[in-house]
Amino acid sequence: MASEPIEKRVSYVSDKLRGSQCNCCGMKYETPVDYCVECGRESFGKMRDINFFFEKGKIEVCALVEEPTNRFVKLGPFLHGTVDFGDSVRFPARITDMFVDTKNIDPSLFEGREVVPRFRKRHAVGKSEIVPYTALTFTLADEYYPFQKHEITTPKKEYEDAGIVGFGVYTSRFRIKEPGLERSVPFLDEDAVTAAVEAAKLSLIQTGVDNTKVRKVYVGSESNPYAVKPIASKVVQVADLGEEESGGLRSVDAVDTEFACKAATGMFKDAVGVVPLEKKFGKNDGPNYTMVIGTDNSQAAPRDEPGGELDNFVGYGASAFLFGNNDVIARIEGWHSCTSDTPDFWRRDREAFPSHGGRFTGDPAYFKHERKAAQKLMSKLNLKPQDIKYFIAHQPNPKFPVLIARELGFKEEQFSTGLKVLKFGNTYSNACLVGLAAVLEVAKPEERILMATYGSGAGSDAYSFVTTPQVNDIKGKQKFTVQHQSENPFLQFVDYNTYRRLKLGI
Amino acid sequence: MRSDVAIVGADRTAFGELYEREPLALIEEAFLNVSKNCGIYKEGGVSRKDLEGCFLSTYFLQQTNKIGSPDGFVSEKMGIHVPIQISRSFSSALSCAYDAIKSGKHNLVLVGGVEKMTDRLGKIRDDIMLLEDPSSYYAGATPETNHELMLREYVKKYGIQGEPLQSFNRTLAQIAVKNHRNATKNPKAQYQKEINVDSVLRARGRRYLGTFDFAPVSDGASAVLLASSKVASNYTDKPVYIVGLANATDFLSHQARKDRERFLATRLAMQDALKMAGVGKEQIGLLEVHDQSTFTEMISLEDLGFAEDGKGWTEIRGSLENNKPFYEIGGRPVYVNTNGGLKADGNPFGATGGAQFCEVFQQLRGEAGERQIKELKNGLVQEVEGFGIKADVTILGVE
Repeated sequence: MASEPIEKRVSYVSDKLRGSQCNCCGMKYETPVDYCVECGRESFGKMRDINFFFEKGKIEVCALVEEPTNRFVKLGPFLHGTVDFGDSVRFPARITDMFVDTKNIDPSLFEGREVVPRFRKRHAVGKSEIVPYTALTFTLADEYYPFQKHEITTPKKEYEDAGIVGFGVYTSRFRIKEPGLERSVPFLDEDAVTAAVEAAKLSLIQTGVDNTKVRKVYVGSESNPYAVKPIASKVVQVADLGEEESGGLRSVDAVDTEFACKAATGMFKDAVGVVPLEKKFGKNDGPNYTMVIGTDNSQAAPRDEPGGELDNFVGYGASAFLFGNNDVIARIEGWHSCTSDTPDFWRRDREAFPSHGGRFTGDPAYFKHERKAAQKLMSKLNLKPQDIKYFIAHQPNPKFPVLIARELGFKEEQFSTGLKVLKFGNTYSNACLVGLAAVLEVAKPEERILMATYGSGAGSDAYSFVTTPQVNDIKGKQKFTVQHQSENPFLQFVDYNTYRRLKLGI
Repeated sequence: MRSDVAIVGADRTAFGELYEREPLALIEEAFLNVSKNCGIYKEGGVSRKDLEGCFLSTYFLQQTNKIGSPDGFVSEKMGIHVPIQISRSFSSALSCAYDAIKSGKHNLVLVGGVEKMTDRLGKIRDDIMLLEDPSSYYAGATPETNHELMLREYVKKYGIQGEPLQSFNRTLAQIAVKNHRNATKNPKAQYQKEINVDSVLRARGRRYLGTFDFAPVSDGASAVLLASSKVASNYTDKPVYIVGLANATDFLSHQARKDRERFLATRLAMQDALKMAGVGKEQIGLLEVHDQSTFTEMISLEDLGFAEDGKGWTEIRGSLENNKPFYEIGGRPVYVNTNGGLKADGNPFGATGGAQFCEVFQQLRGEAGERQIKELKNGLVQEVEGFGIKADVTILGVE
């Protein structure tokens, strides 16, 4: 779309399937309208916004697109159809996350199947243009990504300090099998932005948090498709974070951060700190929340090129953590961070692939920082390894996190639960977060979790969390768990060439 | 049957991939063709200086040729300064021209249509889709998938499956075969060669509609001269009268429409056009319908009321199986798309309707050569703008 104002208006509506409902007669519209065609001017000012992003629909009819239009060529072949949301609301749909076998597919068999709207890139555009997204992309509800409703719940208990309230983790359906590990691979229309939005949506579903009560969003990433333009603003628009103001604005603070793989974890303490400050300096009207998202779709040079070693491990995905002082599932017991200027891994502006310092990324970089942050925090809190139930380290490959864990005195049962690099690959800003989420999914009350993150460049953040009795409350609130995404019958494994094509995207 | 407005001349260029030619050279050719043929009572034919107004139709000239003001171009090219109005479809332009004459404002006007789609061949499908139905475009639709979805809605609604579904699919393929056969007798058609059912079916693969089910992308121009009946005899002794015309509009988004297996706009336009003409369907022997796809030819028969809803394909199946040049519907022959239809004659959007009018005009005057139908009193042109967004139905007749 060469016109930015048009792109703004189109994305405002279709990023989350925004529609209207008439308060007079109840009629629903699949696009925002100022009045109801049934009720006429009676209905002026009586239309309310609705959106279908958290709903599900049913495929009415669908067709095989073998020869897509130019901007969709890289996505094809695919299925396109009509999705029915009931009450005469229907959307055109592109079915995504699917490789279509044009010789054998029968589009009729998809009629009547339930689908969930997904947030994806709309189509290809020129390199300097605004990246168009849409929620007119759907996946089958009985496959990898199940339908879940977002139901806002009233918080049960208030805590003195803010802590982790809940989380959402998103990785794609596609994987590549490597010796010793599996890695998640984005579909053609996925990127760091779409994963961040999915994670935010899933965190709201799990916690039942009122999206309008989120006051600040941090998105940490090193693979934002833009050099300048935040991911966080897209998350706000699609997930409806913060209170709505007139003119399509929302009362919420949003910012992107970058520090290689610790861009998100570095913001945990800020997110915790803002919750009480928001009561003091912002609006004090009951619970408020902050959200930290780590999302990455990091690139790597092909294996036979310089820097191609990274291509053995790079994964894809995002996690969103909600912080607040209501219904806390894990409180923060202490933290310690350390930083030094270490050139172990970097990507110069306008370079497609990052570079790294080979063996230099190990001892003088990763291990030195991880060791320091973890040891300092443990000594400050007077903790021995046996006081800690779970240990999570940054996991750029399967070897480093195990070595540091053992060096710090942890046993396999302490670090294996949070070692998700084996299932998802190195998900960069998301790597520690997905480990923490995996631990919180199984943790019992009053268990201690030590997380030591690492970001090249370089620095480490160590946090000690202690679960509260409410950690049990989140169990069963999320179907799309880390576990579900690790071992799912609908996972689709691709070969190296397909992986490179998917990674390149549209 | 007479009315106040008559077509006194109608002609066109050949349709096809006319890479070498400028769009305005095409409209010029169409006008010269028509004016020469109106010269029975006037030395040298109708002159451009005789025109009191022009109604031009073009859907895409701005996109394809970056011509935003075709009226200025026509004015400059022809050296005329009469009122020139622009519409997106030929029938719309003709409808405006009709009103201008009916109101007494003008006595002789030109209706012209031109399109030059191959000048933007690589991008035209994106353009068509984005203009016709933007939200579907954003969900990956192509101009063809909307037809496929419409067909699938039809099949679903009327419970066509198994053996009948195969028969249904074959019937649609035969529509393409029939239209190509008709086009072999039309020297100005884009595709003047026959095709067979197997090639239509083969091109479909796992889809219900394939390449051979769709009208092509074309270049071309067409022109019709309209005169008030009181001056018509100055130009021809065989005027063809516009006895009924109407149009209706429908929602831009296909998904938002109530009945997605047919075009509501066609139904509404047909009702009004019949009422105005004061003729019954059974008095109409030739239909030039807007077959953007084989399916839309079939559904047009239902929407125009010539076949019962859900039964259009069974009504025409026998005639197609027996390679008849007409559809035997209700115990009488109804000729459909004798020029080859959009499918084989070509589909240069703004000029397409002009070719449909040319066909009915020639048929009613007995000038259709090899394609000539006997004892024809009334013919009908159905034209659809966009994907069912607007439909025009025009009923023509001779005394």
